[in-house]
Amino acid sequence: MGRIEALLAGVLRDGCGWIGQILIQSQGKGWQLRHRDDAARLDLEAHTAPEDARLLATYDDGGGYRPLKTAPNLRRGWRLELPDVAAVQLALDFFYPAQLGLWLARREGRLRATSLRETVGRQTGMYRITGTITAAQADGLVSAGCRSEGGCLRAILWPIEPDGARASGLPAEKFDPAYDQTGGGQAVIPLLCAELCNLQVAAARELIKGKKAEAEK
Amino acid sequence: MGLFGEVSCCFWKEEPSLREAEFTLESREIYVLPNFISEGYFTQTVIPRELGLTGPLTQRADGRVWKYCEPAGNHASMTELLRQRAREVAPGVREEETSLLIVGHGTGLNDNSAVAAKAQAALIREQSQYVEVLSTFMEEEPLIARWDELTTAPNVVVVPFFIADGLHSYQDIPVLLGLEAELPAAASQSAVFRRNPRVLRGRNLYYAAAIGTEPRFVDVMLDLVTAFDRKHGPN
Repeated sequence: MGRIEALLAGVLRDGCGWIGQILIQSQGKGWQLRHRDDAARLDLEAHTAPEDARLLATYDDGGGYRPLKTAPNLRRGWRLELPDVAAVQLALDFFYPAQLGLWLARREGRLRATSLRETVGRQTGMYRITGTITAAQADGLVSAGCRSEGGCLRAILWPIEPDGARASGLPAEKFDPAYDQTGGGQAVIPLLCAELCNLQVAAARELIKGKKAEAEK
Repeated sequence: MGLFGEVSCCFWKEEPSLREAEFTLESREIYVLPNFISEGYFTQTVIPRELGLTGPLTQRADGRVWKYCEPAGNHASMTELLRQRAREVAPGVREEETSLLIVGHGTGLNDNSAVAAKAQAALIREQSQYVEVLSTFMEEEPLIARWDELTTAPNVVVVPFFIADGLHSYQDIPVLLGLEAELPAAASQSAVFRRNPRVLRGRNLYYAAAIGTEPRFVDVMLDLVTAFDRKHGPN
């Protein structure tokens, strides 16, 4: 058994079954996953292959593509019945890619957060322009795009500037990995953000180019 | 196949990201296989930067060893794969009566992008009986749009030198070839490859799916790992 699987097995055994918008419950000798908001529903479509999680995670309820898997728009109406923790790990790797690994790395003290300034500073090619983002622009970008309501359910571990300044428009709990970002108040397996994602780097480019075009008008 | 302890994938614009990839793996020794057809900006700049690779072999402070393999398009076994695909798309058609066009993307931004397609065309030219074997491109000369001027044989086989069937092989190249007057609708995408041959500009035109969709492409990727070990030693 790998270290990630062992960690997951331990917390599931201890009764912690919440990660992002997913509820994990023991079922017979195995486990069952479903959307947290479907906890009481009986009319769920049954799945038994961990690989089905890939498709369940791809589109939202409206059929829209989900480029960000930690966005709070996981589709509802399904249940996934799995035989063991290894299968749960595989399914969660589709629902929330790399998150179990990030969780283990943080617990082992191996996870280094990268400031937004460092992330945009190393970009090249069409994203090199993001290195010119101002502190105020970065604050606005993160405060709007990374918020848990409608944005992303990860807990932010990085500052905007290397000196430690954080996004001013987000509540303190957004930076707390122990906090249930769905607002459900459960003890959760955390969803972690160790640096600005590439969706936000792309958004930073659009923001800066838009401002530039405005100034040149 | 059970050849590796773990197999993970990561992406530039999807999840998991290149930066998060290391956390998905528990092994001490990691082969990185770039799923790119040719060397270029992504294989030479973006992937090394995002994964923190310093060369073919990167020894990290945590004891892990990262082995950065070459992209598939350069590899010798790719030559045979291209030849097989050309034969399969035009069954029973004799090489002596056929021109073969390998079509890559090409770009004015990176000179290395076209190197693999050119090298593969040269190898197939030496090994086969085709009337012509040419590397052509969407965005640099010789342009695939001029396919009928570039070839002389009655049969013309076109094999896209791409990893996946996407917008380029479904839509852009069919339009450039004249197979489609304009961008085809999504529903007709798979039909693009099922209408061989098409009689166009006085020739029989055979259009294949992207070379990376060939199931034996997996073997090419495994060959890249073997090639890495041969060049840099197993450890």
